[in-house]
Amino acid sequence: MNGAYLDNASATPVRKEVLDVMLPYFNEHFANPSNVYDIGSEIKQVVEEQRAKVANLINAKPEEIIFTSSGAEANNMAIKGVAFARQKKGKHIIVSSIEHHSVLNSVRFLERLDFEVTFLPVDEHGLIDPARLSKAIRPETILVSIMHANNEIGTIEPISELAANCKENGIIFHTDGVASVGNTQVDVNELNVDLLSLSGPALGAPKGIGALFFNKGVRLMPLIHGGIQENGRRAGTENVPGIVGLGTAAELVSRDLPGTENHCRKLRNRLVNGILDRVEKVTYTGHPDKRLPGHASFCFEAIEGEALIFMLAQAGIYTNTGSACASKALKTSPVLGAIGIRADLAQGSTVFTINGNNTEKEIDYVLEKLPPIVDRLRELSPIWGKEIPEYEKDVCAH
Amino acid sequence: MYSEKVMEHFSNPRNIGEIENADGIGEVGNPVCGDMMSFYINVKDNKISDIKFKTFGCVAAIAVSSMVTEMAMGKTLDEAKKITKKSVAESLDGLPKEKMHCSNLGADALAKAIEDYENKK
Amino acid sequence: MKFIKDQKSDESLDLVCRMCPMHLLEPGDKLKCMKKGQVLEVLTDYDGALEDIPDWCKKCGHEFIGMDEDDDYYRFYIKKKK
Repeated sequence: MNGAYLDNASATPVRKEVLDVMLPYFNEHFANPSNVYDIGSEIKQVVEEQRAKVANLINAKPEEIIFTSSGAEANNMAIKGVAFARQKKGKHIIVSSIEHHSVLNSVRFLERLDFEVTFLPVDEHGLIDPARLSKAIRPETILVSIMHANNEIGTIEPISELAANCKENGIIFHTDGVASVGNTQVDVNELNVDLLSLSGPALGAPKGIGALFFNKGVRLMPLIHGGIQENGRRAGTENVPGIVGLGTAAELVSRDLPGTENHCRKLRNRLVNGILDRVEKVTYTGHPDKRLPGHASFCFEAIEGEALIFMLAQAGIYTNTGSACASKALKTSPVLGAIGIRADLAQGSTVFTINGNNTEKEIDYVLEKLPPIVDRLRELSPIWGKEIPEYEKDVCAH
Repeated sequence: MYSEKVMEHFSNPRNIGEIENADGIGEVGNPVCGDMMSFYINVKDNKISDIKFKTFGCVAAIAVSSMVTEMAMGKTLDEAKKITKKSVAESLDGLPKEKMHCSNLGADALAKAIEDYENKK
Repeated sequence: MKFIKDQKSDESLDLVCRMCPMHLLEPGDKLKCMKKGQVLEVLTDYDGALEDIPDWCKKCGHEFIGMDEDDDYYRFYIKKKK
């Protein structure tokens, strides 16, 4: 059957070359890296080699990498770790209003502990204005967290400019690189950040592994207390197969990335132009140029996203409505709200994420199947072709 | 996530469309919430002789609408009034819990269409 | 405990927020790379260090010079003796 998997931001298959390297670390090389005898210290050595590979991918030093269980944990560790370590200096934190839930819910948790949080608005493309950040900075600001690239609209933020602003004021700057690392070139020195989170699956590594880059000198209160793994910053015996997977994947990505990026951009442009040519009343969301190379996001008028996702899935085309959690919880996306997309239009949000495995044939298949599916759902829709009256937000029952 | 019955009605919804000069029209929900249904009925000898719908919404909302039209077609108005959210969900072999409240609006839309017909009489 | 002010040091280790026993492991590694007579400053917020560091110095044959307190952490000073 024909099909196209264009939901690579949700999950990617573990690369074959990665899995092959990982497998012996489940049984053959099983020793605990904390053990001092030979087979333990050999594993410790392997873990340190992987740390260097991950560091190399983002132009960091090996001792600046902490392995975590996910991108979400890395975000939690950055936000809560810095907040708890610096709370005597101040309790004010700034984040963008379009952060991932692992950042937003971390700062909301901190609000309950008397931290104050400023949520910076974005423009219609999802960009943060550096001048606005400057204005939000106070003497008691200890941390700013602004994502490198947004997972729902693909927009890439002007991180180096934003971070420079904070460095001058002695404020720690964190960026969530989960959507960007693996999909576009990321250099922590160029970005000028103190902390950066990344996630394994985005690189073709397995789920259950991520990492946090931290600038030497940034104090982080551990989230997981116990032994002194990760240099006393995160307890728990290392996920050695996962770490080997992440290191191997990072090495492959470092090697392949410029090519993959071009490939993805070419396919993305073909998809975007094709959809805009073939379908009327559709909004291409996010920034037209400053965006992830394999990312295309749309809002189709008069259609609800879930219905579209399911109908596309029946044709073997896998996409997403945006953030998986938001679509399950039946909430309108806060990201689309933040860029000023009308609430009824936001219901028709669909996100395509392309990676190196996708082909032109898949894109053409989508361009063939998508327009009739959109037509069919619009035929069903009582609001298609009608003026949408101004609905009040609070009439929603949920 | 959804039962086979839901997916079947979603993939092949029955009675789609509008009825011109319908005897009764019922509209519920709004597009801001993500679910909106319009039901159209014709009534003959106190029975629903024709029924059509249009729905903006998720898989559940579309399947619910289709199921309600199937359940109501040919029924007397009194029988049709007995169609409830619960009976619709049961006929679809269940709906996910989070969809029961907001997407299961078909019975309400039908009730409104009947009310509209009775008010016009 | 010997409290001192304005102690100068040749090297400094920031172990604030790090789990026990990093406050003993890292100074051990660091001192190995230092010269006899040089002073190492150790920053830690771990209360157990108040006992551990002087004891550990005795055991390893280094001189424990004293400590100072900052807002949210301690400063310990160790002179390399061998």
